[in-house]
Amino acid sequence: MSTEVIKTTSSQTKTKLWLDVALFIAFLVTMDPHSSGLAIHEWLSLSVIAVMTIHLLLSWDWIKEITRRFLGKLGGLNRTNYILNWLLFIDGTLIMVSGAMISEVALPYLGFVLPPGFAWRRLHDMSANIGLLLLGVHTALHWNWIVNTFGKYLFQPIARMFAIKANKDASV
Amino acid sequence: MKTLIRTLVILAVFFTLSGAMVMAVNASGANAPDFDGEPRFRPDGGEEFRPPEGGEFRPERGDREERGAPRWMFGLIKNVGVIAVLVMVIAWPRSLAKKKKKQAV
Repeated sequence: MSTEVIKTTSSQTKTKLWLDVALFIAFLVTMDPHSSGLAIHEWLSLSVIAVMTIHLLLSWDWIKEITRRFLGKLGGLNRTNYILNWLLFIDGTLIMVSGAMISEVALPYLGFVLPPGFAWRRLHDMSANIGLLLLGVHTALHWNWIVNTFGKYLFQPIARMFAIKANKDASV
Repeated sequence: MKTLIRTLVILAVFFTLSGAMVMAVNASGANAPDFDGEPRFRPDGGEEFRPPEGGEFRPERGDREERGAPRWMFGLIKNVGVIAVLVMVIAWPRSLAKKKKKQAV
């Protein structure tokens, strides 16, 4: 994500990769509440707040650096990414707030009973659809990072494992 | 300590935005039952429609589930498809341009 400005450690990158994979899967599951069921939809969405916070903490140096340099000299890609990430954050917040306002399982279980909100249902659907588009653009802008990191931490180790096994078989 | 402060900053921004959104929706009056101007379902032609207790009325959920078709598959394919198309439209030309640049050098 931040190779242009900030260098992250290998373990941080690995954590970020698996966290992002989990977030991506969670997003796909929560995008279809009719199939997953309302309980899974709501509880999974609430847990995404924690995962999202960790995701932002792992990118903290990048966020701080770009915020500092935003009005000054900054590459076009970093600027686009920064604006897009803010849009994603605002949209994610709207999804969460509107979801909380129309919650039928999680919030009543926690003891919060809110009056029915007519606008929130529409806002929830609209923000979720916008979120899907923003996530698509976010994924596209980080595609090189995704391909390289998957190669480095998943495909290359698997290939190495098979190569070692093949060498052992050949020597026997 | 640093992580705790950062977490609090993220949550503070999140809750500030949430508060602003709630205030904006309430102030706009969009939350009123008859805000959107669309004709509402009135069972006897007269009474105002009331959602069932415990939440909003979502008529489409039950009858779609009853069909038994693998709806989850359609939803999943649609969502992944949207993301895949965006990745192709944005990332592919970028990688092609990069390759051309490399070849030129």
